[in-house]
Amino acid sequence: MATESNGAAFSRRDFLQQLQGWGGTALMMAGMDALGFGIASAATAPPNLTGGGAGKKVIVLGTGVAGLTSAYELSSAGYDVTVLEARDRVGGRSYTARKGTKLTELGGEPQVCDFDEGYYINPGPWRIPYSHRGYLHYAKKFKVGLELFNNENEHSYIKFDKGTGPLAGRPVRKQEITADTRGYANEILAKQVRQGALDAEFAPGDKELFLDYLRSEGYLTKDDFKYIGTDGRGMDENPGAGLDPGVPSTPHKLTDILHSQTWRTLQSVGSLDMQHTMFEPIGGMDQLPAGFVRNLKPIIRLGHVVEKISQTPDKVTVAYTDSDGQKGTVTGDYCVCTIPLSVLRGIDLDVTPEFKEAITGVSYALVCKIGLQMKTRFWEDNHQIYGGHVYVDDPGVNVISLPSTGWLGEKGVVLGFYPQGASAARVSAMSLAGRRDYALSVGQKVFPEYTDSNDGSFSIAWHRVPFNMGGWAQWTEEGRAKYYPKLLEPQGRLYLAGEHLSYITGWQEGGIESAWSQISKLHKRAMAAA
Amino acid sequence: MKRLVALAFSALALGTSAKAQTAGATLFAQNCSACHQLTGLGVKGAFPALAGDPFVVGDPKNPTYVLLHGRGGMPNFSEDLSDADIAAVLSYVRSSWGNHAPPLDAALVAAVRGGGAAPPKERSVLPGH
Repeated sequence: MATESNGAAFSRRDFLQQLQGWGGTALMMAGMDALGFGIASAATAPPNLTGGGAGKKVIVLGTGVAGLTSAYELSSAGYDVTVLEARDRVGGRSYTARKGTKLTELGGEPQVCDFDEGYYINPGPWRIPYSHRGYLHYAKKFKVGLELFNNENEHSYIKFDKGTGPLAGRPVRKQEITADTRGYANEILAKQVRQGALDAEFAPGDKELFLDYLRSEGYLTKDDFKYIGTDGRGMDENPGAGLDPGVPSTPHKLTDILHSQTWRTLQSVGSLDMQHTMFEPIGGMDQLPAGFVRNLKPIIRLGHVVEKISQTPDKVTVAYTDSDGQKGTVTGDYCVCTIPLSVLRGIDLDVTPEFKEAITGVSYALVCKIGLQMKTRFWEDNHQIYGGHVYVDDPGVNVISLPSTGWLGEKGVVLGFYPQGASAARVSAMSLAGRRDYALSVGQKVFPEYTDSNDGSFSIAWHRVPFNMGGWAQWTEEGRAKYYPKLLEPQGRLYLAGEHLSYITGWQEGGIESAWSQISKLHKRAMAAA
Repeated sequence: MKRLVALAFSALALGTSAKAQTAGATLFAQNCSACHQLTGLGVKGAFPALAGDPFVVGDPKNPTYVLLHGRGGMPNFSEDLSDADIAAVLSYVRSSWGNHAPPLDAALVAAVRGGGAAPPKERSVLPGH
């Protein structure tokens, strides 16, 4: 997720800093609200829903994290809550495939996960940024154990086939590319600075400090600012005991790195949602939904597929078909609907034509994943890679991700591909066996042990999954302006919530914070009416 | 002699068109069938049917534009498929499952692209989410 503001952010920041100068933090916060930063989009705790539920009944549709958050907070606040879930499990996209997990995509073959007991893949969300405080709030509250997710591994490989030269078409350790690219870049810049070519850039006293920085950042030699390698790029022989100081390695040539394209994996700092520290729930992504369920009264009705939502001025009624084929309705004072817009657009809704149009105004991500169970943890045993990602430039794979759980254990489940967009369309058109074989063929070129070690797989193409029909909402700038605001407002007694109604789309945090935001509005209205 | 040439020519044309049809079918199976299904019937409420769709068999510039820019849930294929590929797959779609619209050529796709430059597509080396 790229941030949406660039140049404009600076002027807004300047403005806010001025406000803070004049009126302190309170004025600055008011200013943030006025500028549309929206306190809710940076919420760190659930809303305080005081006053009881006034005997009001709320129907929550969907049990992804948005639905579970809504159900938990509203029922805790005293509302009479009923939850309808289409599937025979809770969690929505926040789920985990393990032995026996069944999935049949639209137009696809039936699939049963054939992993060994205790092994799993998170086919949907799989990593929790430290900035996602809503998720962390509930993880802490429900005692869902977290472990570190290794989102960056310098000892992992980059294997780019589309570049040219001696570094193309073979796995290269990321640490070599990082050290050499930055080393040379700093050397070149230092040379220019020392020659006086950039004097105009510096205030008095800056230049020497800047050179100090370049030398430090690029591991340049002390006196002549040359990059000649550094132990962090890896050693030809690691140091040992006794008389074994190790053997240093030789940097690649700058031209070889440039033409290999491998430098494309480097960025000065991880994007906001990709930095250390990253977490994952111990035991799988389904552990947070399970935590919600442990703390909810039994108000969830599984296997209830929503067919129609109708309204009167006073009530909202949801018609459903249950897993036995029985039709029925449930009526309440309000409805919080967390069904993805990709699915909601196919449901009979009692809303204005403008609202209906807005629901269709966003596209959903095509995205695939495959979990490959491996008989041995060869990436650890033979390659000393503990978690993190192998980067490949085949867009049908993108990354091969190594598990951040079960370290040094017997087996492990590797994420074998993670394509998006048109590449996901192509991968998802393959048979289940075809997807597996394709993933294996790409991984084989990185790890010689790959194919022989494989003894199970589970793949998913989210755009073909019933009740999801896509990975996440992908708003365009036009859609954000034209449709998004409409969907944030209730339609009669219907409130929408989910990652699609946030600026944190494609993350569980978006679902949680959207739920907080929408149930706050609902509560305010219910209390005003009481 | 004239007749012989004409025969040979039509055989050649037929051969070429059969070959294009096969290429189009393969491209469709690889890139489109996950959603629109091999039957061209799509999935009701999820993926539109291409069989009998007036948009698909109408002015070929319109479906070409959709392949180059995406629409709704459909991704853009501008960087994944060449002009010739897009012409082949659309010609296949326009003449399959009871559709009877004429084929289109790569030149039309290039014209719709406008200047031949594909619109830049966001493709990060590091996948988000």
